[in-house]
Amino acid sequence: MTATMKSNKSLTRVLMDWAAVIVMIAAIIIFTAVKGTSFFSPVNAINILRAMSITTIFAIGATVTMAPDGFDMSACTLASCSGYIFASTFLWWGLPIPVAVIITIIVTMVLYQLTMLLILVCHIPDMLATCALMFVHQGLGLFYTGGGAVSAGMSTRWGAAPVRPGWTTSFLAIGKSPYCIIIMLAVVIFAHIFLTYTKHGRYLYAMGGNKIAAKLSGINTTKYRYMAGMITAVIVAIGAMVVTSRNSAAQIQGCDNYLMPSLAAVFVGRSVGGQEKPNALGTLIGAALVCVLDNGLTQVGVAYYVLPAVRGAVMALALVLAYITKKQD
Amino acid sequence: MEKENSTLECRNVSIEFPGVKALTNVNFSIGSGTIHAMLGANGAGKSTLMKVFAGANPGYTGEVLVNGEVVELRDTNTAKRLGIQIVYQEVDTALIGSMSVAENVMINSLVMDMGKRQFVNWPNIRKRAKETLERLNVHLNVNELCSNLSLAEKQMVLIARAIVHECKFLILDEPTAPLSDTETKELFKMVRHLRETYNMTVIFITHRLYEVLEVCDAYTVMRNGEIVGGAPITEQTTTKEIVEMMLGHSFDESFPKEATEIGEEDFEVSHLCDTEGMVNDVSIHCRKGEIIGIAGLVGAGKTELCKTIFGAMKAGSGEVKLHGKTLKIKNPSDAVKERIALVPEERRKEGVLITETVEFNLAAGSLGQFCNASFVNRAKTAANAKKYVEELGIKTPTIKQVVANLSGGNQQKVAVGKWIAADSDVYIFDEPTKGVDVNAKTEIFRLINDIAKLGKCVIYASSENQELLSISDRIYVMYDGKIMAELETAKTSEDEIMHYSVGATEAYAG
Repeated sequence: MTATMKSNKSLTRVLMDWAAVIVMIAAIIIFTAVKGTSFFSPVNAINILRAMSITTIFAIGATVTMAPDGFDMSACTLASCSGYIFASTFLWWGLPIPVAVIITIIVTMVLYQLTMLLILVCHIPDMLATCALMFVHQGLGLFYTGGGAVSAGMSTRWGAAPVRPGWTTSFLAIGKSPYCIIIMLAVVIFAHIFLTYTKHGRYLYAMGGNKIAAKLSGINTTKYRYMAGMITAVIVAIGAMVVTSRNSAAQIQGCDNYLMPSLAAVFVGRSVGGQEKPNALGTLIGAALVCVLDNGLTQVGVAYYVLPAVRGAVMALALVLAYITKKQD
Repeated sequence: MEKENSTLECRNVSIEFPGVKALTNVNFSIGSGTIHAMLGANGAGKSTLMKVFAGANPGYTGEVLVNGEVVELRDTNTAKRLGIQIVYQEVDTALIGSMSVAENVMINSLVMDMGKRQFVNWPNIRKRAKETLERLNVHLNVNELCSNLSLAEKQMVLIARAIVHECKFLILDEPTAPLSDTETKELFKMVRHLRETYNMTVIFITHRLYEVLEVCDAYTVMRNGEIVGGAPITEQTTTKEIVEMMLGHSFDESFPKEATEIGEEDFEVSHLCDTEGMVNDVSIHCRKGEIIGIAGLVGAGKTELCKTIFGAMKAGSGEVKLHGKTLKIKNPSDAVKERIALVPEERRKEGVLITETVEFNLAAGSLGQFCNASFVNRAKTAANAKKYVEELGIKTPTIKQVVANLSGGNQQKVAVGKWIAADSDVYIFDEPTKGVDVNAKTEIFRLINDIAKLGKCVIYASSENQELLSISDRIYVMYDGKIMAELETAKTSEDEIMHYSVGATEAYAG
């Protein structure tokens, strides 16, 4: 077979594989040319990293779900619920941060059982099940808070004065740099190692590539879809806590808007490096692309209300480059 | 490697599927270091027997012996442990396209041999995958994604997967059907190398007799679930004697071919090629009221030809003419506008809308004629459905019945009915009798005859040569995407069709 093997990838293919990175570098060069050091500086780099940290965390959760060909529309509405839990355990009951963190993670995992029930036991397609759950999460969360946000100085659900009157510095630090950046990097590195180097990660990818072949190779596909779900739940909880700290409150539907950017990051990252599957580093690059654009476009004076259109167009360009060589069915 | 001698044998193996006796008292044995061919027409039981050896047919009766000892092959893992490995023809169902070659080769070991270890030892996986591929004399980049490989390379990956663990008996189910000539030669070279270097036994299931003579040491012929003969292959072995053995002359069900009036030349395909190389410079023509047969074995390109004419597969070059006018068919929608109809092979997936009612399916080919300003007129579709249910003898409780609940034969009648309702001029049938019982078969034949009587052009593709002989007026024989011969049905025989189906280029001697 020596003769038929293409040992050298064609140049176009390499360009396509790195389309997202190329678009990002091009954007950086253009913004630097226009704005000089006010864009290209360590301070602004930190700004971008801080801005992308939350999107990236949620996107990594989506990556883990999508590796075995799963999908979760309700991840960010669930995160809003986790946010209420985190804020209320801290403010209303006055629990120390580590305890509040653990309770938030556990409650998120418990809530995620509902998702897993619909998908794995009731065999509802992921997309439909999680679509329905979006509404369940929204209602359930507000039922818990009594219909409002959880923020400093407000009374509890049951009308009593909260144990803590306000946030502490260490609580607010979670959402600030450098901590939010460190948390983001930790999540990315964990997901990268888990998906690339452990057998569990490889099984998830095997399921995503060809579920029947994976099953026939002896992989317990139900167990591993569940495992992916639980890891997603933990990551979602982490994202929710960073959002709550950043906003100094668990706002109503405070995390819901992160869904689309995070999914976009995964889709852009899919093809990075010719991987053709959701992967942690690709997702990081996808999220970075989104945030570099936001930051740069704002600096060059694009009105905030036009921003989504430009952001969407550039992402579409990256996707066109990545998928243009794909064969049509 | 030490040359130990191992044998694989089966005694009185029978297997029954609901309503069919798939294998009857099969006795077969094979020793080390041979390349053996399993031959037979479609449905002869070759794959069924091989699946018994692979542990994929746990319901067999009789005995299977490895090295003279009786073994119970009730699951695939037992077979693998005994060194029996099988590579099925459908490579894409077994490969994971989004993963690397290394992982695809090593997947069984990744699942079975990890024990308590959590981390994948990448260098080791790559090294072992590479070594295994090298044992096959194949040089692939183990980091490449499988989806980027050619079909032949994918097959090599699967063979490598089979021999990662100890493999004494390698079963290849129609490995060459999708391969080009050069790729086939590479495969043969590899198979010979396995036999010589590792004393492995390779069992080939194939339809290509010329390959058998070239590479195999011996052959066994099956027919109707029984072994009917076999011999070592020598210089004197000819394809003719094998073909005769494959056919036997036991079955002679004939279907009534009613004489139809054949009119003028109406439909013509010239020099048609697709983009994948599965249809290669095909020229056929059909007159009004004529039924032409497309013969050929599985994988000869019949389905691809049908789909390319219909626009469901991309045409590379060539011309399609109807009523003397050259047609521009880019997609099935164009074809339907030109009144060409395709009744596809995969009935449930492609032929009918399985979850829709009989009424809707019968209107689906020409919904426009049942509409008033884009609104479907239910009274019209119901009348249409009633008419064709009666005319075609579709057995259904009501026209509101969902097609999924009908029998295979009745589903097929619905699939045909929608095109009759659309009043098409050219009807293409791809294996229309697949999976329908004998009675339904006769009814479908009558239906096709009736269509021809209306002066329509009928193209009938099938790998059942008996059927072609009884229904068609003329037969084109395909092999490897090409038309090998054009035969007058009245003057030909099953032997002659088979002669060209297996790739013979010289004229049939009779």
